[in-house]
Amino acid sequence: MEILKAENLVKIYQDNGVPVNALMDINLTISKGEYVVIAGPSGSGKTTLLNLLGALDKPTKGKVYFETENITLKEKKELSKIRLHKLGFIFQAYNLIPVLTAIENIEFSMMLLGIPDKVRKEKALELMDELGIKELANKRPNEMSGGQQQRVAVARAIVNNPSLVLADEPTANLDSVTAGHLLDLMEQMNSEKNITFIFSSHDKQVIDRAKRLIILKDGRIENQ
Amino acid sequence: MLLKLAWRNIWRNKRRSLITLAAVVFAAVMAIAMRGIQLGTYALNIRSVVELFSGYLQIQEKNYLDNPSLTSSFIIDSKILDALKSTKGVVDYAPRIYADGLISYKDNSRGAAIFGIEPEKEKNVTTFVQNINSGKFFTSDSSNQIVVGDQLLKNLDAKVGDEIVLLAQGYDGTLGNQKFKIVGTVKFGVQELESALIFMGLKSAQSLLAMGSKVNVVAIKADDLNHLEEINDQLSSKIRNSNIKILSWDKINPELEQAIQLDNVSGIFFLGILIVIVAFGILNTVLMSVIERFREFGVVLAIGMPQVTLTYLVYIETMLITFIGLVAGNIFGYAINYYFILHPIILGEELKKLYEIYHFLPQLKSTLQVSIFFNVSLSILAISLASCFYPAYKVYKLEPLKGIRHT
Ligand SMILES: Nc1ncnc2c1ncn2[C@@H]1O[C@H](COP(=O)(O)OP(=O)(O)OP(=O)(O)O)[C@@H](O)[C@H]1O
Ligand SMILES: [Mg+2]
Repeated sequence: MEILKAENLVKIYQDNGVPVNALMDINLTISKGEYVVIAGPSGSGKTTLLNLLGALDKPTKGKVYFETENITLKEKKELSKIRLHKLGFIFQAYNLIPVLTAIENIEFSMMLLGIPDKVRKEKALELMDELGIKELANKRPNEMSGGQQQRVAVARAIVNNPSLVLADEPTANLDSVTAGHLLDLMEQMNSEKNITFIFSSHDKQVIDRAKRLIILKDGRIENQ
Repeated sequence: MLLKLAWRNIWRNKRRSLITLAAVVFAAVMAIAMRGIQLGTYALNIRSVVELFSGYLQIQEKNYLDNPSLTSSFIIDSKILDALKSTKGVVDYAPRIYADGLISYKDNSRGAAIFGIEPEKEKNVTTFVQNINSGKFFTSDSSNQIVVGDQLLKNLDAKVGDEIVLLAQGYDGTLGNQKFKIVGTVKFGVQELESALIFMGLKSAQSLLAMGSKVNVVAIKADDLNHLEEINDQLSSKIRNSNIKILSWDKINPELEQAIQLDNVSGIFFLGILIVIVAFGILNTVLMSVIERFREFGVVLAIGMPQVTLTYLVYIETMLITFIGLVAGNIFGYAINYYFILHPIILGEELKKLYEIYHFLPQLKSTLQVSIFFNVSLSILAISLASCFYPAYKVYKLEPLKGIRHT
């Protein structure tokens, strides 16, 4: 089942009046349950593409269909709703709210969905247990290592059962062993829960473990 | 959870939050203390002035205020009496007559403002009877005795104990003419008044002026300045007489009212400046705290936090600080005002003289009037809400990506 489809995507940034062609004519279909890595050199347009696929930005031309809905035409508010209900995000860093503990950070996503306090706690604990990060529950981000923070970020990204998780270089700040553990976790969630993952990376380990690899170069997909 | 988040966010940058808090506390305390002393001193002076002569309220014939003459008079009927006796807050009342006349002693003649009063009643309503300057006051039922203004006595070249002749046109138009004995003098500190003032018994005045049992004014003492409106309403509804007006001190002493209004406006203006300064302080700190967190805000917006909820969070943070500041400010303000009620500031000699001319007490006193605390708190709350508007608007307009990219 197709979950995401990009049609003739073009993104042109204006950099002080100079147009920058970040993406040129991208066509892409991603099915439910896929585990996709977008690779490519710096400046090739990975982040730009993820932002468009994740309803964080609008293309200059072309269309993005999410679950067969054209999201390029939607209002800011609706996009925010789609992100909240259907998508999970993991960024390179600064994912967590610094004043909240790990469990509170995970609860935060559920709070936004209006899930009651008690249910939130239970579900967050359950998930942390499943991901093997239960002992981090009451730690604040500054009391956790980068890898621990990213694992909590994964938990937050998947706690609302999104159909799709987008991660922009989630391992960029981690050493290779820690990065490996994070990848284990995401693969586990992909196979156990059938959550679709798309991430960008130029980390060799990540690329090697990709189930599907998309290589970007100068805003175009090279391996199609 | 939003509240918890807001609370923790406040303590993230302790120094900044404490500065904001201090600004709110400072503004609240300053405003409460200043307003307290201002309003407290007004009340003190209003009481001092109205208790000297005018009374808190007066019942007057409807034209008397504009045209104080014998014809603007009325009879104190049983309805008025009942109303005065049954209205809560009326401490006592004193009937008066006022007429113009001419006073002569030997070859000297002067214009006179004649007041017919009942000293025994006045004692419960006003203080001027006790403030006799020389001699003594007559009693209510004594005939042909008068007390005159100190300056009038000098102008006439007379002494206490001398006999004078009073000439006045009566209610019926005939000219009354009678001998009186000066038994004392009063001094109010207002030259103009003292060079014409004559007090005599109410009955004497009524017979000199052929007034029958009519009076011009009934001066009323009330138990509290804050009850005047209520008392006025009650009396009006009980008396229900279109020939009669009930006026409170501010209508009877418009100059005093105006002086207070003027001073009050300058006080409020000063407070306005104070509050605007605090507003800019809050605006500045909130804006900084918001801009610092753009990246964090970008992430929560990206994961789907509604823009409004995030804006709301910024408001909660400021409101929490403001609220704590107001609670502390009100407590300190209350303590300060309470202190200045127990220990009024006594003015120095020079100011004292100036104050005494106006029959103000040479003191600055405070008050615990609830409206001060309420108004100050409300103003600061409003201004703090207002100064949040711009930072909150920036958050409302923040794009998730702009936030994430913000460095
Ligand atoms: N907001 C922007 N304004 C202007 N140009 C931009 C903006 N964002 C990205 N670009 C440009 O678009 C191109 C693609 O950038 P993008 O961030 O998507 O690359 P990337 O593959 O994610 O690179 P990296 O590996 O360094 O993260 C680059 O040339 C970049 O300079
Ligand atoms: Mg990138």
